Amino acid sequence: MSRDTIFQKIRSALEPIKEKAAHPGFEEAMLISPVRTAGSPVEAFSRNFTTVNGRVMSTLEEVIDLLRAQNHQVGYCDPSLMETLGRPLADAGFEVRTEYCRENYDDYDFGITRATGGIAETGSIILDDAHTSDRLAALSPWVHIAVLSRAAIHPSVPAAIAHLGSSRNIIWVTGPSKTADVEGILIEGVHGPGEQIAFLVD
Amino acid sequence: MIDRQPIDTYARQISDEKQTSVITGSTASTDKRFNALFTDYADPDSLRKLAAKIKDHTLHHLDTYLEQAEASLQRNGVTVHFADSGDDARETVLNILRGHEVTQLTKSKSMASEEIHLNPYLIENGIEVLESDLGEFIIQLDGDEPSHIVRPIIHKNRREIARTFQREGIAEDYNDDPGTITRRARVHLREKYMLAQAVITGGNFISAESGRLVLVTNEGNTRFGMAPSKVHIALVGIEKLVPTDRDLGVFLNLLGRSATGQQLTVYTEFISGPKDDSQPSGPEHMHVVFMNHGRTDVLDSNCREILRCIRCSACQNVCPVYRQASGHAYRSPYGGPIGAVLSPLLFGDRFPELADLPKASSLCGACNEVCPVDIPIPDLLLRLRDKAKRAHIPQPGDLPMTPFATLATSPSLWRTAMTMSKAMNHLPIQVAPVRPLQDWLGQRTLPDWHGGDFRKWLKARKEK
Amino acid sequence: MVSTPRPVGRKVLFMATCLCDAFYDDAARASVELLEHLGVEVVFPDDQTCCGQPAFNSGDWPSSRKVAKHAAKVFAGDLPVIVPSGSCAAMHFHGHRLQFEECPDAEVESLAHRTWEIIDFIVNGLGIKTWDGEFENPTRLAFHRSCHTRGTDTGEAVTTLLSSIRRAEVVPFGQTDQCCGFGGTFSVTFPHISGRMGSLKLDHIMESRPDLLVSADMSCLMHLTGLARVQGRPIPHLHVVQVLRDTLMTARK
Repeated sequence: MSRDTIFQKIRSALEPIKEKAAHPGFEEAMLISPVRTAGSPVEAFSRNFTTVNGRVMSTLEEVIDLLRAQNHQVGYCDPSLMETLGRPLADAGFEVRTEYCRENYDDYDFGITRATGGIAETGSIILDDAHTSDRLAALSPWVHIAVLSRAAIHPSVPAAIAHLGSSRNIIWVTGPSKTADVEGILIEGVHGPGEQIAFLVD
Repeated sequence: MIDRQPIDTYARQISDEKQTSVITGSTASTDKRFNALFTDYADPDSLRKLAAKIKDHTLHHLDTYLEQAEASLQRNGVTVHFADSGDDARETVLNILRGHEVTQLTKSKSMASEEIHLNPYLIENGIEVLESDLGEFIIQLDGDEPSHIVRPIIHKNRREIARTFQREGIAEDYNDDPGTITRRARVHLREKYMLAQAVITGGNFISAESGRLVLVTNEGNTRFGMAPSKVHIALVGIEKLVPTDRDLGVFLNLLGRSATGQQLTVYTEFISGPKDDSQPSGPEHMHVVFMNHGRTDVLDSNCREILRCIRCSACQNVCPVYRQASGHAYRSPYGGPIGAVLSPLLFGDRFPELADLPKASSLCGACNEVCPVDIPIPDLLLRLRDKAKRAHIPQPGDLPMTPFATLATSPSLWRTAMTMSKAMNHLPIQVAPVRPLQDWLGQRTLPDWHGGDFRKWLKARKEK
Repeated sequence: MVSTPRPVGRKVLFMATCLCDAFYDDAARASVELLEHLGVEVVFPDDQTCCGQPAFNSGDWPSSRKVAKHAAKVFAGDLPVIVPSGSCAAMHFHGHRLQFEECPDAEVESLAHRTWEIIDFIVNGLGIKTWDGEFENPTRLAFHRSCHTRGTDTGEAVTTLLSSIRRAEVVPFGQTDQCCGFGGTFSVTFPHISGRMGSLKLDHIMESRPDLLVSADMSCLMHLTGLARVQGRPIPHLHVVQVLRDTLMTARK
């Protein structure tokens, strides 16, 4: 049986190692980039999220302008975010659905979902399955709008890891989906969104 | 007549176009890595050293951590499998798929699966497999092999890719704009995602403490593949463990920066089990297959530091030999310095055939300097050269060293030879007996021989 | 990699290296003259030969161990061993340790502990931080940082000294950290790749329009200038110690 064989082989390989390395231990401060975390978490988040070609927004007008400029019409909104963004967008003339129908994934130009947190140091948004209404709604539409509470922004990667929580599936998203496979040229919107928006709320 | 080394011969034959792609791509990645690390940290070296120590600690206690990881994964509802050989791993994956009646799946880039040629095996057994990473997708269309760990198609240019898309019916017309190529792949692949019943991934890290599996991608293909699938299989090398979640911070900080100069890869996913009731989507079944495939042989060798590797490709990018020869010259999924060490060890039965790989280095040490886990690659290359020699594996181009050792341990002989060799000044190049030496002198001139002159000068001074 | 602290003293053993023994006698002479100028007594053990690197790098460790033991005997004692080559020095303080890790040898270990690359010795051992030399005319120096000085203090030491010479300008060039492609036996068994690496290095160096190519390793210079001559772009070149000696003499004129 493979399991026993593997453990046997590991133990016999480790046997001759006389001094086994101890875990070095470390201060979290050493992992944190001073340049990237300068300023308040919200400032650092905004700066770094922009650097990775995300867009930080905090008003309805900004969202409407972008959607109109890119000619997007139909979108999905997490039912719990209807008051925040869904209804105002519907009022502005967009078609906003509260059910994400997988079979018609191509119908959606934009998806509005909840981010459970952010990471200032890297400009990342955190999506957590236990609190995000639909995974695909954050991935399949060209525009993903993550509604993010300013207070939920962690200052650094180690802080975000310390607060990972117990959800079965957590994902950190740092900018639009991208590739440089073709001649090293950066192209955004490979499988996931070409536009990643953090909509900051209090 | 003594022959050239195979990698040198390969490098001589590749087209200028391919070589330009590889040199430009790898050089750019090296620059991005440098900028990211040195802008962000005052002393990035201390991070590398820390990561190396954590990895060594983990490897030295691998039995403990593997058992702990197994228990954590099981606690999270994951089915854990162990596969000792490549055959075991392939069969295990196939059996899982059959157990769930899977006939169609998507796969995200996994070096472990490349090692054991998983795709052709599954396809032979009637499973439809689609690579979803853009580069791997193109490799699959072309029946090609990846030539770089992070950028599998670094050896291809846009024109080749556009022709492939046209030939394979992905697009009706020829268009080599990288944006258009990407858009076309997007449309084509998302249809397939929706039909897939399972997704196969690798694993970048597993935290033994929590059983979290960490997957990183830039494209989001893993995430997309997983959204509609019912079954997730992660094929993970047994050395991919880290002790705790807290340790993950060290490696995530280094991986993106070392690979592509990103602070973090776009999608960093932490998966700790199949979907539970609180989740709207995700696979209902999750399997982790821990694969050995030669890793314990490496652990048992004097090159075990290579198991620290986190597959970032920084050593490939910076290696001047890789830049000239490209990844395929290394005849395994791992090209460049990492491959020159890992392949002869991992594919132990192919050691004689791969024993030339460790020779493919001027020992310049750039690979060690950029390595996020501080692997002393040049030392390991040298140990493998020693190993090959002890195993009496003949190496093309090797010059006999016994006469040299005799000369260099016989001072009076040495001193005489120094003055005698002045004759070299009068020898035409053509007289040099071996082909490599002719190559050498064809490209360079030697300086004039001044053998023994320094000693004479010293002596004359003393006599004054 | 380098042992610290290594012995410093006003009497040293000098290892000329086989390359200076065979081709570059003036680099060895300059080393001796320089050390003596700095008040250091130089002893040259006449039985010295080579560091053993060719056999070591080609994987023939039984052969290279023999050469290493010979060197360890020739340079026995407790005096610092000074080498005008980053590569041969690294062989002493790193390579030997590697090939003797399974059969430790006290003499070899002692040699490893006492070996200095010459510029490292001058700057970090003797504490000389500026150089009272001058060029007659403004001179652009391209300093090739050889790979075996990676992770040591030599590179910075050389730049420090060269920059302090009057009318000297150390000019930067692209991809400074890339290897020149020599690698000893590597250049014989990988002639194509080695040549391409060297040409690439030359392209970068030439772009900086240097008057003089300088290095702490004659092996790199032999390869690079040998290529340059065949390619019809010859370039004057000197070991750092030659530059230091010559500019000092100019200053004293």
